[in-house]
Amino acid sequence: MDSSITLGGSPGADLTKLSDREKQELQQFVVNESQKARIQQSIHSLTDICFRKCITGKMSSGKLDRTEEPCMQNCVDRFMDANMTVLRQLEQMRTQM
Amino acid sequence: MSFAPSSSDPKTEIMNQIRQEAAVANARQLVEKLNEHCFERCVPKPGASLSSGETTCYTTCMEKYMAAWNTVSRQYVARIQRESAAAPRY
Repeated sequence: MDSSITLGGSPGADLTKLSDREKQELQQFVVNESQKARIQQSIHSLTDICFRKCITGKMSSGKLDRTEEPCMQNCVDRFMDANMTVLRQLEQMRTQM
Repeated sequence: MSFAPSSSDPKTEIMNQIRQEAAVANARQLVEKLNEHCFERCVPKPGASLSSGETTCYTTCMEKYMAAWNTVSRQYVARIQRESAAAPRY
């Protein structure tokens, strides 16, 4: 990997000019930003799935009505519960082999 | 989207570039999802042009989708915060 970052096609800063402490701070920053990006990604996925399930029929307003809002919230929670079930079940299946 | 001045130190410059890339990726994803859902809902049979009804539908759909996104965001972040507080660290 070369010593300069080019993001989005424009020339970037030179990594070789950073002190060790700055490199460490940058490392931590990248770790944090990666986690944030993963969370954003999950939110996009969940919104996609739950929008299909919860927002059906004609859309009369741009706000979530009193059935749609709880549906979206439940959808997120049930998806997370189901995800836990998948992991637990897979683990059980794995130990039974 | 804000653009950082290029005269800052290399570390800050890199941090800003990374933040910007993340923001761009997020925006791109949002546009993709908005197009996907709202085209499906609002333009069932594509005609020779977008009617005013279809355009109005798009506005409503976009507002709805972003409201849904915010609800999911709040719910999801609250849930993972709860789970990380409760879960034992191995």
